[in-house]
Amino acid sequence: MADKDSFLHLARPLGPAPIGAQPSTAPLSVVVQPQAIFSILDHSTRRPSDQDRVIGTLLGTRSEDGTEVEIRNCYAVPHTETAEQVEVDMDYQKQMLALHLRANPREVLVGWYATSSELNTFSALIQNFYGQQGDGTWPHPAVHLTVSTEPGKEIESRTYISAPIGVTAERAADSCLFIPVPHELKYGEAEKSGLELISSAKDREDRSQAIITDLEGLERAVQHVLDMLERVSNYVNNVLDEEATPSSALGQFLMNALSLAPKVDAADIERDFNAHIQDVLMVSYLANTIRTQIDLSNRLATAALTMGTGDVPAADGDNKREGGDRENNQRGGDRGGRGGRGGRGGRGGRQHQREEA
Amino acid sequence: MADSSKESPLVAVQVEALVVVKLMRHSTQSFPTTATGSLVGMDVNGTLQITNSFPFPTVDVPVTDGHQQDNASSLAAAAPRAKANVIYQNEMIKFLREVNVDANNVGWYTSTSMGNFINANTIENQFFYQKEMNERTVALVYDVSRSSQGSLNLRAFRLSPSFVAAYKEGKFSTESSLQKSGFRYQDILVELPLTIHNSHLLTSYLHQLPSDAPKEELTFPPNLAALQQDPNTPQPPLFPNFDSLDLSIDPFLEKTCDLLLESIENHHTELNNHQYYQRSMAREQAKITAWQQKRKAENAARTASKQPLLPEDEWQRLFKLPVEPSRLEVLLNSRQVEQYARQVDGFTAGVTAKMFAVKSNLLPGE
Repeated sequence: MADKDSFLHLARPLGPAPIGAQPSTAPLSVVVQPQAIFSILDHSTRRPSDQDRVIGTLLGTRSEDGTEVEIRNCYAVPHTETAEQVEVDMDYQKQMLALHLRANPREVLVGWYATSSELNTFSALIQNFYGQQGDGTWPHPAVHLTVSTEPGKEIESRTYISAPIGVTAERAADSCLFIPVPHELKYGEAEKSGLELISSAKDREDRSQAIITDLEGLERAVQHVLDMLERVSNYVNNVLDEEATPSSALGQFLMNALSLAPKVDAADIERDFNAHIQDVLMVSYLANTIRTQIDLSNRLATAALTMGTGDVPAADGDNKREGGDRENNQRGGDRGGRGGRGGRGGRGGRQHQREEA
Repeated sequence: MADSSKESPLVAVQVEALVVVKLMRHSTQSFPTTATGSLVGMDVNGTLQITNSFPFPTVDVPVTDGHQQDNASSLAAAAPRAKANVIYQNEMIKFLREVNVDANNVGWYTSTSMGNFINANTIENQFFYQKEMNERTVALVYDVSRSSQGSLNLRAFRLSPSFVAAYKEGKFSTESSLQKSGFRYQDILVELPLTIHNSHLLTSYLHQLPSDAPKEELTFPPNLAALQQDPNTPQPPLFPNFDSLDLSIDPFLEKTCDLLLESIENHHTELNNHQYYQRSMAREQAKITAWQQKRKAENAARTASKQPLLPEDEWQRLFKLPVEPSRLEVLLNSRQVEQYARQVDGFTAGVTAKMFAVKSNLLPGE
């Protein structure tokens, strides 16, 4: 979505440079993690009804030379905005920052977000607040991320940094030049499975989705692959029937993909397949045996007690209890033996597994 | 509070997408150290809606010793019931209230690897939450390893009322109490069904991800290189996840087996402890019986010679019965083993299906 505007930054837009230091001209790039965007969208749905936009602080990491900024986290900051003035709860911002840094000591303040694409005088004021010396991001420029959340329109996100602009000293506080910088959304491998589930709910009426099991996930993926194969083979058939336009590039691509299939001897496959499947089933069988054993052991542990809890006083009861205990002992020994055997079996199974792998 | 939960018990957990993402990132980032944090949300007619979360502060561990990772893990695992974190949590919730986030604590989350989370720490944390903070709380467990291998593994658990009652009394040593209440290891944790919920805004955003379909009619690329670099080539969709087609499932199976063996060894140790206890118990009992019989004979002799009888219950003072080891460990361990066994079952189902697919792919027509 950010890539819709094509950027060409021959040099990094000049931010406020520390006095004396050579202003860096390396390009600045911003990476946004989904968590931040999700959090901003959540904040937007929870805004007070009389407010058009809400703002918050962005946290993340910055590369050593300051040319790469990764926005990892964010939190909301209450503010009020009227036609004449804007008020940001600075105390809240400071305390919240301290709380966040306790949980994520590696993250730093990188900038702020607003949930409207509009840039106005107040934006400049807040931008200067976040970019100031001391509490702000100085000497690095503060990053401003806007995520438009207007109903009925597409969600658009943009990132900016700012440069001071030559006006009189008294107006310097509420004016600055916003310079757009490119940004992209990145998510890690590990987050994929979660995003998968989240996005699987996007076409559902109730916007919710129960956890899918591994097997269901597999089934859907296979179904999807089959659909794609169907489409490709349709296309190929159409080309053969001279109904669709052939493309040498596509043909070449398909050839390359097909040639990836390994050439193996049928007997080898058969043998490996059988060996492996036996191993897997064996492991499963043993695991279930162990489970049953454990269950049995627990049941025996409580069942044996029935004899001992007669609570009959005097010698009679004591004798009985003793008998019960003895029996229990024997069973206990038995249990231990069985457990051990189960363990050895499991180990054997695993060794098979290793050989196979 | 206990009464209100009896009126309409928690039946389901609904997790906001934001929480899922936050949880995933926190857990992945601190993997293999355990990550823990707090959940906020609200309870609507028995459905617990979890709408936001925040991690607990990290504890600095001196890097000098070799077991630094284990230390950090155990500290993080114990974090939800640490006093400092309760303060932190209350402060955070106070701040979140100002920006209209549902400011009720509804539980805590932890990360785990291969379902290895049923231990005393988890139980203690959840007990602490259900007892001290709010009865209607859940523990979310996010499995980092299993989620990286296939579909998301996020589960919600609560302690069963019978377990809470038993744990409150701390009575896991007297087998009679276990036996009387008919308490089994399957009853420790209650799993609640979990759904993921997206806001309208998020739904609209997801429809823009990873990329929109191009609007204009596309032409065929002139050659292979152009095809591969074509910006209009669609990104693989987020859903369904083709990672679940991955064939290498063996490492996971192996890891689970390792953990399973570990559990069995624990079980064995516990059993040995118990046997030891029973042996010494039997010994003591034998001694007591001998003493009682001796006293009885003595009393009989005294009755014969019209002397006053000696008390017969003095043995309670003279002999000390050994303390029975707690059965709690055994129960937890059993539950853990059950979990592993089911996990292996799950893997087997998947891997068998994949193997048959591979076989028929490589040997078509058989």
